[in-house]
Amino acid sequence: MNNAISIQNITKVYDGIRAVDDLSLEVRSGTIFGLLGPNGAGKTTLIKILTTLMRPTSGNAFVEGKSVLTDGASVRGMIGVVPQVNNLDRYLTARENLALHARMHRMRAREYGPRIDELLELTGLTGRQHDFPDTFSGGMQRRLVVARALIHAPRVLFLDEPTTGLDPQSRRAVWAYIQSLRSTMTIFLTTHYMDEADTLCDRIVIMDHGRPLVDGTAAQLKEAFAHSHVYELEFRANADRYEEVLRTFPFIRSLERRGNSFRLELRDEESLKPLMDGIGSKDLKGICLEEPSLEDVFIHLTGKKIRE
Amino acid sequence: MFRGAFTIWGRDMRVLRRSLFSELVAVTAYPITLYLAFGVGLKGYIADVEGVPYALFIAPGLISMTAVSAAFEESAWSMWFHRKVQRTIEEYRVNPITVYDIVIGKIVSGFSQGAIKGVAVAVVIFLLTPFRFPMAHFLAYLYFIALGSMVFSCFGTMCGTVIDKPENIGRIQGVVIVPLIFMSGIFFPLSSYPATILPVIRVLPTTAIFEGARLSLLGGVMEPVYTVTLTLTAAAAFVLAVWIFNRKIEE
Ligand SMILES: Nc1ncnc2c1ncn2[C@@H]1O[C@H](COP(=O)(O)OP(=O)(O)OP(=O)(O)O)[C@@H](O)[C@H]1O
Ligand SMILES: [Mg+2]
Repeated sequence: MNNAISIQNITKVYDGIRAVDDLSLEVRSGTIFGLLGPNGAGKTTLIKILTTLMRPTSGNAFVEGKSVLTDGASVRGMIGVVPQVNNLDRYLTARENLALHARMHRMRAREYGPRIDELLELTGLTGRQHDFPDTFSGGMQRRLVVARALIHAPRVLFLDEPTTGLDPQSRRAVWAYIQSLRSTMTIFLTTHYMDEADTLCDRIVIMDHGRPLVDGTAAQLKEAFAHSHVYELEFRANADRYEEVLRTFPFIRSLERRGNSFRLELRDEESLKPLMDGIGSKDLKGICLEEPSLEDVFIHLTGKKIRE
Repeated sequence: MFRGAFTIWGRDMRVLRRSLFSELVAVTAYPITLYLAFGVGLKGYIADVEGVPYALFIAPGLISMTAVSAAFEESAWSMWFHRKVQRTIEEYRVNPITVYDIVIGKIVSGFSQGAIKGVAVAVVIFLLTPFRFPMAHFLAYLYFIALGSMVFSCFGTMCGTVIDKPENIGRIQGVVIVPLIFMSGIFFPLSSYPATILPVIRVLPTTAIFEGARLSLLGGVMEPVYTVTLTLTAAAAFVLAVWIFNRKIEE
């Protein structure tokens, strides 16, 4: 079977709000799939449906061929879940948290003991295994949740914003770990970080208002927007005055200022001439065409900045 | 079957074991104080109640009260805490166990807490007093404590499942649980009630728990009305608690 996840016309309505809107999607086995979208796009809702925590209003989804509606227990046996909000048991030590999870997956002590040792080692928590999670830093708790999701060697791993709130070092550690799992399982992750999606994901879908907006590899998405019109302007002086002028131009889609430099997206190529006419060349130090980043693609599509 | 329930119960008992001593001290302090104040302190002022010394009259009720309150408290707060604060219920639910495993595991945990704490109070009271009973009475009494703890554990589970604000759980305890317990004759005989409302009082499940428990411990009788009421209530409460949890949790 080639598709680890198959989503068929899923809709979820919370009293009036369409969190997921008739969404269909297939994720190939063994790939890392990234779901991006601004706050409230419906990412967590979709993950909750796929992990059997929530019933869709309509539609169906299959994980490794099993329906989340009618065969939830089989689905749960094959998945690992890292939720957006840590849900560790603070009355159990780190090791007990892992053991409890293993027992719920019907593993025997002699089976899960070595597995837990291995995962604690990998996540760098061996020295703290007998401590309670509320004495851990945010990053350590996150790593423990990731370790917990992997004990039973799931075939599909769901990660809801795995690195939000982590320092750059811990993020890289989690990334390296996710990379090392590549092709041993299918990974479905959501993130707000473009660099994360860029480094990790084989395929990216950007969604908003419960619908997918684009779908492709990071390179494809960037390529599709290579013909977008992002320019960088730098002024020698009077940047404040120029900012006011720039803000009045209707053909500027987005504008971002950094000191005396502006990064702006034009509606089309024809807008370049009125732009140049509008600002003149007196104080202009330089102008150049920018390579679009994944972030530009995101902002272009959703009209929103990504949450930091 | 119910492996998951057993695992969850095991987790709760492991956590309880860590703080067992302090829990037991905390939970026995209140009923023992009541016992000393009313049973011993007022001894000279209260005559025998229906032929039973007052200290002996209130002892079974105090034990049952501890058990059922502990069962309610554990179930309600634990369910609320695991659902709203720690969100561990969500973690349980992505494992290959069923919602029945979760709710049954939690109900049995509440029940176990009730039973353990009830026994602790019983031990202390029996150490303090000279009263002794035949073994058969104890077994009959245990039946009432067990089913009483079951009913209250199920009721607590329902509250912890549907109530989101913690202060409302406290209100239920104050407005429903405590009055029900006191009304069912821990400190006075049911014959003190006016004849008109007595039939209502007699069919309350709490009356079945307390009055039934007293009759069984002191007299060794399993009063049929109480036995039947309590058994039916326990069965109904269990089914209802499981059903409510199932509905609520699937949203
Ligand atoms: N339990 C709920 N009840 C009502 N509405 C909800 C509930 N959960 C989510 N929503 C709504 O559904 C929409 C999608 O929410 P969701 O949590 O799926 O977004 P998200 O993409 O995960 O956002 P974020 O990036 O902030 O985590 C939002 O409008 C949110 O307000
Ligand atoms: Mg989310």
